[in-house]
Amino acid sequence: MKKKHMARGTGALVLVTGLAISAIGNPAHAALSGQALVNSKCATCHEAKTDQHWTRIGESRRTPEGWDMTVARMTFAHGVKLSSEERGAVVKYLADTYGLAPDETADHRYIIERTPSVVEHPESKPIGDTCARCHSYGRIAVQRRTEDDWRKLVHFHVGQFPAIEIQAGGRDRNWFEIATGDVAKELGKVYGYDTASWKQWQAQKHADASGVWRLVGNRPGVGAYEGKATIARTGDDRYSVAMVMRYENGSEESAKGSAIVYTGHEWRATLKQGGRDIHQVFSLGANGAELNGRWFEANNDAVGGTMRAVRADKGVPASVLSVQPAMVRAGMRTTLAINGVGLNGEVNLGRGVKVIKLVEQSAERIVAEVEVAKDVASSSRDVQVGRASGAGLLKLYKQIDYVKVLPQHPMARVGGNGGSQPKVPAQLEAIAWAAGPDGKPGTADDIRLGAVPAAWSVDNLNKMAAEMQDTKFAGRIEQTGLFVPNGAGPNAERKYKTNNAGELKVTATVKDGSRMVKASAPLIVTVQRFNDPPIR
Amino acid sequence: MLTKNKLTTACLANATAAALLTLYSAGVLAKDYIVTTARPDVLFVVDAKERKVVKTHKIPNTSMGNSPITVVPSRDGKVAYIIHNRWETVSGIDLENGKEVFRAELSEGEDLRGKAVFAMDLSPDGKELAVFVNPTRLLPGEYQVLDPYIAIYRTDAGTDAKPERKLPSPRRVSTLAYSAKGDTLYTFSWEMLKLDPKTGAVKGQHPWRSWKEPNRGEPDTLAIWPQWEQTNIFATPYYKVATDKEAGDPAALRAGIWALDLEKDTVSFKEFEDASVVLFSSAVNPVRRNEVYTVYTQLTRTDMKTGKMDRVDLDHTYYDVNVSSDGSELYIGGTQGDIAVYDSKSLKRIGNIRTPGGGDQVLSSLRIFKR
Ligand code: HEC
Ligand code: HEC
Repeated sequence: MKKKHMARGTGALVLVTGLAISAIGNPAHAALSGQALVNSKCATCHEAKTDQHWTRIGESRRTPEGWDMTVARMTFAHGVKLSSEERGAVVKYLADTYGLAPDETADHRYIIERTPSVVEHPESKPIGDTCARCHSYGRIAVQRRTEDDWRKLVHFHVGQFPAIEIQAGGRDRNWFEIATGDVAKELGKVYGYDTASWKQWQAQKHADASGVWRLVGNRPGVGAYEGKATIARTGDDRYSVAMVMRYENGSEESAKGSAIVYTGHEWRATLKQGGRDIHQVFSLGANGAELNGRWFEANNDAVGGTMRAVRADKGVPASVLSVQPAMVRAGMRTTLAINGVGLNGEVNLGRGVKVIKLVEQSAERIVAEVEVAKDVASSSRDVQVGRASGAGLLKLYKQIDYVKVLPQHPMARVGGNGGSQPKVPAQLEAIAWAAGPDGKPGTADDIRLGAVPAAWSVDNLNKMAAEMQDTKFAGRIEQTGLFVPNGAGPNAERKYKTNNAGELKVTATVKDGSRMVKASAPLIVTVQRFNDPPIR
Repeated sequence: MLTKNKLTTACLANATAAALLTLYSAGVLAKDYIVTTARPDVLFVVDAKERKVVKTHKIPNTSMGNSPITVVPSRDGKVAYIIHNRWETVSGIDLENGKEVFRAELSEGEDLRGKAVFAMDLSPDGKELAVFVNPTRLLPGEYQVLDPYIAIYRTDAGTDAKPERKLPSPRRVSTLAYSAKGDTLYTFSWEMLKLDPKTGAVKGQHPWRSWKEPNRGEPDTLAIWPQWEQTNIFATPYYKVATDKEAGDPAALRAGIWALDLEKDTVSFKEFEDASVVLFSSAVNPVRRNEVYTVYTQLTRTDMKTGKMDRVDLDHTYYDVNVSSDGSELYIGGTQGDIAVYDSKSLKRIGNIRTPGGGDQVLSSLRIFKR
């Protein structure tokens, strides 16, 4: 597809509904002053200290989703009345005034991107042990507060949910004492309010996102894609977006919608993409030169993909973004597509990879026929076009030494069946690996080759699962690696009339020439999440 | 105030009159009745052997989205005290006519909110009600958690009851239990404390967190189900990590029953298996007093002397278990909308009682009284 197929995004603004229960994607509130609203709606309980600081409100910093959750609580718990436009304006103002700099969210973007089945690694053990049993650790790590405000948050927890002290993980310790004592101090230290990052970010002029963008990404279950986007400014921090995405399997999707940028970098867009409602949660980074993040279906966030986009306006520096296919076996002859911007000059894939001929060549895409020598070692190769280089983008391999199933601890949830919650599927991927220069699989120099097609199967995870016939009741797996759980509610056919939860083992069988390489992962099928806030 | 008091007196009078014409078999052999609650606001009484709901009452002025929790019937079976209304209210309901004869709002004024987290008991003479309260100061834009206390109410304080006195209490109390004589208020926090119910003075304790056994870690239990009225023995299942076993070894987590005799002030315990199923709450058989029953997705019978164990699967999860006065039947409830009846010897299911209206019992207690 060429440029002319992309809508220009200057037409009527597409009205969007925003994130699940929030007003975050809603562009209709441009005219309202968030600051005036905080004075009129919040200052009765949160005394104004200066014209931009009210008690509690000036003592923490959050993501747009974080602010939206708090403002939502002010509405349902403390009776604050806000129209959805007003709520959007308050959240926009608070996220801009009390937000997080890009590097402050970098390690925990999975929680706002709603990446499925992430195993968290709390960087603070005391905080993890005290706080991460009801909700994610990430919920905490994407906030910054004064030590005193962290302590007030603990008081809120115990005042609101007094059983916190007798539940498992609470009763085995002096929870309240620990949480208001050492842990509040630790929170103030690790996630404190004052940071150099934030000072610097506030002082910086924030980028305008409008322009033409070249994008690449991966959608688990479907594959890699590349495409283009046109972003046009429609107001302060507001944009229209039109995109086209071409998948390596030959399918193509176009998307159209609108976006708001919070805090100078938190890009939130809602689009119609291939007939579905999609949310994008990106960060506008590298001084406005890159957009990075995850997009997902609005009503099924387990399904989505990652995206990286760079500016493709005239005169931008050349860069190589991706290569398709990203892995080639030694001794093979194949057609490679190199995606990037400003591509110009000789294609160089390193020793042992011969470029036989160029099939297609533009500034954004080069298609070449290449031949990989038989004796080439398994390795990562830089993809060079002229002076531009994509580090380690191409993987060469002698054989697939092993496979890993991702996510490593997948989880699906029963749903539907007349209940309020839809099913939550689990999208699995089989990732191929090759041993590195040491020739030993399982060592630090191993090479991650990428996602490969697999034959998928499920088994019972353990004896209990076998007794309960979990494979029969919990769901089924499609050959794209999509596990679809069964319906919610008690099942009269099951022992204890229990629901369709289960403990399964998924196995991917990958064909590598004449060899079969297998990998498994435990797959937990559990019950619905009835309360699914923007930050879990 | 005056009208309220008058109303209460009238209610009481009515209740007394009604008691004379009661359904309950006065004079003849006392029968077992089960009292429990269900969503959203239902209190009901069951003739246990008849498997029949004989009374259904509404808990007045409660929050409908929330379910009632702890239930404490008076020993004479006249009144049941219930924590409800987002845990912010205790009501005493006359079981004969459904009148609210006692009501204590745990919050004080506009800005001091009190919540009762399960622990509540009635003195054996029925005169005083002890409630563990977690208070929170509601400041503008901020909540401030205060020290918890045990509120002691006179049960004749009517429907605008205020605490007669407040006893200081440690945090994290899950059970309050009066000794059989009423001279000790057992307060189960990190340790099983023995409080003087008059002053709150700590008279002593039975070790819990400080209970040491070779090769064992600290015990863990969730004791929020009062069901000792048939025996005066408080029994709760517990888990302990076996510190001499590798994690992952089935024997690395051990399960047992811990029991406190509320008459003799003695503790006994029996570790009886590698933890293999979830054990929620326990009750002791009043006739074969070595037998303890524990429920969750299974019904387990444990011999406290030998550690011998029998187990059957249940049709769904249950939180509560209680035992008939003759020791022959087990009543299993909580969680969903039914009470299952099991034979205490064969562990066979012999009956079933649906909750009126079909609401779930959730975390309610399942109590027995005789009349
Ligand atoms: C017993 C479960 C539980 C534990 C333990 C717990 N939380 Fe929470 N937390 C919650 C719930 C429930 C909410 C949502 C409150 C609401 O919005 O009504 C919440 C909300 C939050 C929020 C979002 C607040 C807002 O305004 O949106 C943060 C941040 C948080 N918790 C941090 C912590 C920290 C720090 C700890 C440890 C000191 C902790 N949590 C321990 C249950 C828990
Ligand atoms: C009617 C009184 C009232 C109003 C009006 C009110 N709040 Fe609050 N707010 C509270 C109370 C009470 C708390 C402490 C309990 C809690 O966290 O829910 C609180 C807590 C907070 C906190 C700290 C929450 C945390 O995560 O620890 C923030 C931030 C906040 N409010 C923001 C706002 C904003 C923004 C508004 C206006 C849109 C607002 N409030 C309006 C009563 C109010």
